[in-house]
Amino acid sequence: MKKVKIVFKIFLMLILLMPLAGCWDREELEDRSYVIGLGLDKSKHKGKIRVTMLLANPEVGSLQGGGGSTEKPREIITFDANDFIAAKGTANTIISRDISYDLLRIIVVSEEFAKTPIFVNALSDSLKDKEIRQSTYLAVSKEKASQYFVKNKPKMETRPHKYFQYMIDHGIENGLIPDSTLFRFFKTLERGTDLFLAMYTTASKDKNPKSKQEDEYMAGELNAAGELDETEFIGSAVFKNGRMIGKLTGQETRTVNILDDTTNIKDILMDVPDPFTKNKQRQFAVRIMKNENNKVKMNVIGERTRIFITIPLKVEIMTNPSMVNYTVERNQKKIKNEIANHIKIMNEHLFEKSQKELKGIPYPLSYFARKYFWTNQEYREFNWVKSFIAADIVIKPKIDIVDYGKQSTKPAKAAK
Amino acid sequence: MRKKRIIKPLMTRLFREPHFEEMTNEDEMDLKKQDISRSYHQNLETFKSIYSIPKNTDIKLREFTVRSLNRRAFIIYIGTMVDIKNIQEGIVEKLIQSQQPSSKIQDIVSYPIEKTASNIGDIIGFINGGITALFVDGDSTCYLFETTKTRGRSIEKSINEVLVKGAKEAFNEKVIDNIALIRKKIKNENLIVESQTITKRSKNDIFLVYQKDLVNNELLQEVKDRLDSIDSDKVLELSILEQYLEERPKSLFPTILYTERPDRAAAFIEEGHVVLLMPNSPSCLVLPATFWALMHSPEDHYMRVPYGNFIRLLRFLAVFVAAFTSAIYIAITNYHVGMIPPDLLMAIAGTRERVPFPSIVEILMMELAFELIREAGLRVPSPIGPTIGIVGALILGQAAVQANIISPIVIIVIAVSGLSSFIIADVSMNFAIRLTRFLFIFSAGFLGIYGASALFIVGLFYLVSLKSFGTPYFAPMTPYNFSAKDLLIRHVPIKEKLRPGYLKPKDMVRQRKG
Amino acid sequence: MKQPPGKLGIREFIAIGILMVGMKATEDTPAIIYQHVQNASWMIPILSAGIFSVPLFLLLKTMSLYHEKNLFAVIQTLFGKYIGFFVCLGIFLISSLTISIDTRTYTNIIRTFYFTTTPNLVIYALLMAVCAYGAKKGIHHVGSAAYLIVYYTLAALYLALLLSTQDTTIQSIFPILGPGPFEIIKQSTLKMTLFGDFFLLTLILPNVKSSRGFRKGTWIALVFISLQSCIILLTYICLFDTSLGSNGYPFHATIRYLSLGIYLPNIEIFFFVIWILSAFIRFTAFLYINALMFGNLFKIKDFEYLIPALATVYLLIGSIPEAPIDVSKNYKALMLNSTGSFYAGIAILLWLTALLKGEFKDEKSKNSV
Repeated sequence: MKKVKIVFKIFLMLILLMPLAGCWDREELEDRSYVIGLGLDKSKHKGKIRVTMLLANPEVGSLQGGGGSTEKPREIITFDANDFIAAKGTANTIISRDISYDLLRIIVVSEEFAKTPIFVNALSDSLKDKEIRQSTYLAVSKEKASQYFVKNKPKMETRPHKYFQYMIDHGIENGLIPDSTLFRFFKTLERGTDLFLAMYTTASKDKNPKSKQEDEYMAGELNAAGELDETEFIGSAVFKNGRMIGKLTGQETRTVNILDDTTNIKDILMDVPDPFTKNKQRQFAVRIMKNENNKVKMNVIGERTRIFITIPLKVEIMTNPSMVNYTVERNQKKIKNEIANHIKIMNEHLFEKSQKELKGIPYPLSYFARKYFWTNQEYREFNWVKSFIAADIVIKPKIDIVDYGKQSTKPAKAAK
Repeated sequence: MRKKRIIKPLMTRLFREPHFEEMTNEDEMDLKKQDISRSYHQNLETFKSIYSIPKNTDIKLREFTVRSLNRRAFIIYIGTMVDIKNIQEGIVEKLIQSQQPSSKIQDIVSYPIEKTASNIGDIIGFINGGITALFVDGDSTCYLFETTKTRGRSIEKSINEVLVKGAKEAFNEKVIDNIALIRKKIKNENLIVESQTITKRSKNDIFLVYQKDLVNNELLQEVKDRLDSIDSDKVLELSILEQYLEERPKSLFPTILYTERPDRAAAFIEEGHVVLLMPNSPSCLVLPATFWALMHSPEDHYMRVPYGNFIRLLRFLAVFVAAFTSAIYIAITNYHVGMIPPDLLMAIAGTRERVPFPSIVEILMMELAFELIREAGLRVPSPIGPTIGIVGALILGQAAVQANIISPIVIIVIAVSGLSSFIIADVSMNFAIRLTRFLFIFSAGFLGIYGASALFIVGLFYLVSLKSFGTPYFAPMTPYNFSAKDLLIRHVPIKEKLRPGYLKPKDMVRQRKG
Repeated sequence: MKQPPGKLGIREFIAIGILMVGMKATEDTPAIIYQHVQNASWMIPILSAGIFSVPLFLLLKTMSLYHEKNLFAVIQTLFGKYIGFFVCLGIFLISSLTISIDTRTYTNIIRTFYFTTTPNLVIYALLMAVCAYGAKKGIHHVGSAAYLIVYYTLAALYLALLLSTQDTTIQSIFPILGPGPFEIIKQSTLKMTLFGDFFLLTLILPNVKSSRGFRKGTWIALVFISLQSCIILLTYICLFDTSLGSNGYPFHATIRYLSLGIYLPNIEIFFFVIWILSAFIRFTAFLYINALMFGNLFKIKDFEYLIPALATVYLLIGSIPEAPIDVSKNYKALMLNSTGSFYAGIAILLWLTALLKGEFKDEKSKNSV
């Protein structure tokens, strides 16, 4: 008994002494430098990648009152490395503190690099590091990732982590960019049946972009003027088996987001041609809300797979350019049909593109095919990828107009 | 075993009682065993010598003649412990003035006679307790009158256990008052106030208060045995007795409840607990006490159910905050940085950049400072008291931050955990939580949240193995017993029918017997 | 006033059972199951609980013949002194190996996910020291501690599951039969080890207040855990889909992925605390049972004093494999496949011996008299 007590006492002493001696994982948080964005590019050297790190300066914008510092809010470094895990060590030759990926928000890959087969291997390293979280976003940039970070100079949110957080969150809510986390990337990669969408972004505007519909742009095509940051987040890059094969515009991305029940989009604002004007020249704005999941039915027996998708949507009409009286039932029906038709066309367009051009569907539609099979073996024989390309797809939007907007007559002066 | 055999004699040899040169008091001891004599003069001499009269100023001895009997007599009492007016009116005046011939002292004196005694030692004991002794020439016994009137506070408001609702009165230093306070709450013939003398020299009395028809006999016996086993010259205070009684006096956590509220004591007696009272101690001990008893406050029950539960949950939250906040801060900032929301992380990192110490030192410094302020505030004479708070908050907080010694977040952490520690009402529990906080800080500094969790589970193992007079610390939650389920949250009073099962009371269900 | 010392109430017993067995769904066991039965993994706990309940029922029935005797005593009475001794020794060795490998697995988890640069030995030694301290306090105190934290553990677990449903797709469980019914049945028989701890728990039968309570507790815990493990596996499958196969420790991957809104993006430490607390309880109970076995085998009465020594031995055994991969891939999978069947076999053999020896008849005649 006494012996045990003595042993325990010695043990206790040791434990109490240990904090003084050395603590393995302990590190003060100000001793680290936090990487917010990570850029991956093709390197000129074989077997290497070009890593760009966007580091946040904690001193800027975090101090209340007086002691604001004159330092810059961020630091960007680019260098060649074998992978971005070992790059942490290399970066220390330039950065004074320990590099940490704890706050990593976004991994930006240049379009050029995303199209190479080594991209998947490079990205898979993120699974090995315990600091990188699976909720980190993956984005594809039109230019080189190293340039992207340098050119991206947010005017309002000078602190980079805040900028990316707001930009991405609201982009996803609007449905213009996909919810492209690493988690989804690897899940899609592992499943192997569908395509993955990564958000598309650029910091350099096109020279003379054409004016298009509200959401038909790609990143860099929106011609905004003023005193602003030129970075744009819209559209998406399509990955097949971890390799980029194409792009989707903002509108197509939105359509995918509406189809995909696993993303949480908020209400979407969009334009629909007005059926009450001549040749449908004018458009009216609607707010689309998706509260219910789609209903998908498939017929997997037979030569051609048939897929029936019902999309339940709630719609709020926001503008009324032709000043139609919606209390009339005929008008209600007309506008409902018009919206349904518009959405149907959008979807059909997307499915056509995915069947012919992309050879795959950019959201996990294959899930719905699984329940028609008993075992994995049967499902594998069915071969979703092949069946999808040849499938007949029927889309049926179910529109429910919840609000026709404020009824107003024409302003008196305009009527004259 | 073998080691013990070696160590024990070694220890006894090392720590043998040193030899003192003592004067013998055998004569006095002998004297105390004798009876008083019939002779007036001999008695007078004896008591004069025992009480060192006239050196001893507050011992009053008065000689006079009992007129009706025409015999010499004297009374002796300690002037500071008796009601002199009563003695004057009820005893002395009657004896001197009474004319009617009668042979009995009892008939002459209007003061109620306590009893008679003849042993010198006994008589001395009574006189020391404030009783007046009357010696009459020719009588072989002396007459004792209950004239005790000790000076002390009257019944005042409770200071350390303040309640908004409910009774305000508190125990004071007079045990008679204290018993009266309990009696007036429990008007039942089964309420027993049993006294027991526990020490030899200063003859400290202890009063066991319990309900005869409720208390478990084994528990009562164990308490009595434990009291008997105390081998000490003096136990002057109830709080010292508490340490004698506890099974593990070195344990961080208390196993006896110490309260100054009679309503609380009465409530525990009603459940079948044993309450100990002691003269000169303005409080009582409740045994056995579980973790829950120590955590609860009477106000939990005085308040209506939702409010009572709210403050109780608040208190449990406070315990958690007081014990763990600093440790969690250390663990998270040193080991698990990813847990902090980015904005906060940036803010902490930004302010910590200029602080010269590691965060564990920072926390320890501030914890220590807080404890200093706290202790200082307690000891400072009350007129300066409030100043301490201002000095503490202003100088230590603001200035330390401005001097870049402490980062502001640490001030918040310490303030929150310090504030929470005030909510724990029981003094011992309060200390226990405050001390464990330091242990948790060290363990979190050692191995982050893993170290803190390890310490927590070790603490839990330790606590469940604690026992208070045979009652496990977390009873009746675990081991499970029938009870009113008044643990984390409480029920409406109508539903709280059962007495705690861990006490094995004779009567489980309340309201069954009168 | 004295409670009978060292007796477990039914609540405490169930709490130990839940923490000991239920924890298995939060380590690498689900990943190992998934490798064989893919998206039908969620059926395995229920099916193997169903299969295992047969030998368990027989065992409990046999045990009920001998009041207040634990498993080893029953084995030695039924099998005779020598065979009994070797059977008990076998059980002891297997469970010793299990505890070594399992504690090593937990150390690996802690190291890979939370303390990457801390030496394995420190984490491991602390784990074993805490367990040794707890086990020395005795099983009834372990039970009390288990009961105190079991609600919080379950609440945290369900919170984690609830939060992860944000990103789950229920269609992942289709095709419903996964690799086919034959494979499922085969695997659920092999994976009886999931519930093998119930077999070991019969060793503390004399420490439980009533043997009726023990039986009741066992069944309650068995049903509860099989349902719970099923739900946990279901959540993993719906969350990770096919990538569960490449995920060593799905529970930790899950809690790392969870977030409470955008302002509290990472909350894994909260779940880690609860998880590690239950892990401590689990191994404390396990260690106590192993020491009890050792004490029974070699007729050592005060086996509590052996606990620190045993813990050290397990620590040393557990430190032998060099890389975490070895533990999970080679040893763990092997143990997981064989232990359960071994225990089940012994349970059935015990019952058969009792039947052949006519013990059940005696019981009946005793009752009729």
